[in-house]
Amino acid sequence: MAFEYTDVDLPIRPKTIAAQRDSWERIARPGRWWTGAERVEIVRVQRAARDFLPATSGRLPEAAVFAIQKLVVDNANLDRDFYDATIAADGMSEDRYVELVAVVVHTLSIDEFHRALGLPLEPLPQPIDGAPMQQRPLQAQQRDSWPPIVPRSGLPTTDQAYYGPWEWGANVISALSLIPENVGWLHDLSEGHYLSFAEMRMPDPLRSLSRSQIELIAARVSVLNECFY
Amino acid sequence: MLRESSQRNGTLESLNLHGAVDDSDSGVSQHSLLIAFTEAAVRQTDALSALRKRITSELGRQELVDAAGVVANFQRMVRIADGCGIPLDDFTKDASADWREDLGLHQFASAANTA
Repeated sequence: MAFEYTDVDLPIRPKTIAAQRDSWERIARPGRWWTGAERVEIVRVQRAARDFLPATSGRLPEAAVFAIQKLVVDNANLDRDFYDATIAADGMSEDRYVELVAVVVHTLSIDEFHRALGLPLEPLPQPIDGAPMQQRPLQAQQRDSWPPIVPRSGLPTTDQAYYGPWEWGANVISALSLIPENVGWLHDLSEGHYLSFAEMRMPDPLRSLSRSQIELIAARVSVLNECFY
Repeated sequence: MLRESSQRNGTLESLNLHGAVDDSDSGVSQHSLLIAFTEAAVRQTDALSALRKRITSELGRQELVDAAGVVANFQRMVRIADGCGIPLDDFTKDASADWREDLGLHQFASAANTA
């Protein structure tokens, strides 16, 4: 089983382990627009980019490899021209881009957790055979972010509460919703590494660090990445 | 370190790992230690190992794990925002209008996508 942490003398929270295992299961399965093998390959390229190793892939479109590199190490300079060129490239689309971003950022997050603690990275999962679903939600609409997003009614029933009282949810929560399953993934890994969406509304969510200390770290990561949002 | 590596690699024009916000003390307990750990974790510098030990001894093992989790989470969230060109939410735009300029956030390249 992945993420055993057997030789690790640190109190890794059970919700952290559960969310990381769930993420590994998600990337191994066929998605909506990429196969399981392609999704695992996206993670391999993501890791190479983080280590500044030249990345090529016989399995992914060239534009996908470049997009992964930009997302990992040049994210502050992403712009609308980059997005438009990426989704228009051979083998790419809005839907494939959104799924790629989700795989990159969730697995990068898990890897960064390991790096911050000085732990070896988890071996990549074995891909599960099968074809992508290739189905865009009928409710998808173009709003203010680059990719279309999906309202509450287009999400799995179990995930609809993550939008709070709003039909469209906060922009960062709905950003990857063109693949509706991403909203639940976003929440679950957030709960595992940081806070659940419900805990975010609490002034003191009972972690070892105070809420002020948590947000100090969060703000510093954002500044280091020059993230305006 | 990452910026230098990127320039050596020659494939990416910038890492943009400098901050526009100054380092004045926030008043948060263990401000300097947490900032140093965060910067070392994001930049993967040689100081990280020693900072892990300091957090463990001065704050605790659970605090180290939780700090690593927050770093990990926001390494993800910033890339979602940047990768999707999301605008500020209305409630954030209103609440932060007075201090965004003071903090220099408009200097960030991503401000052009998000504002």
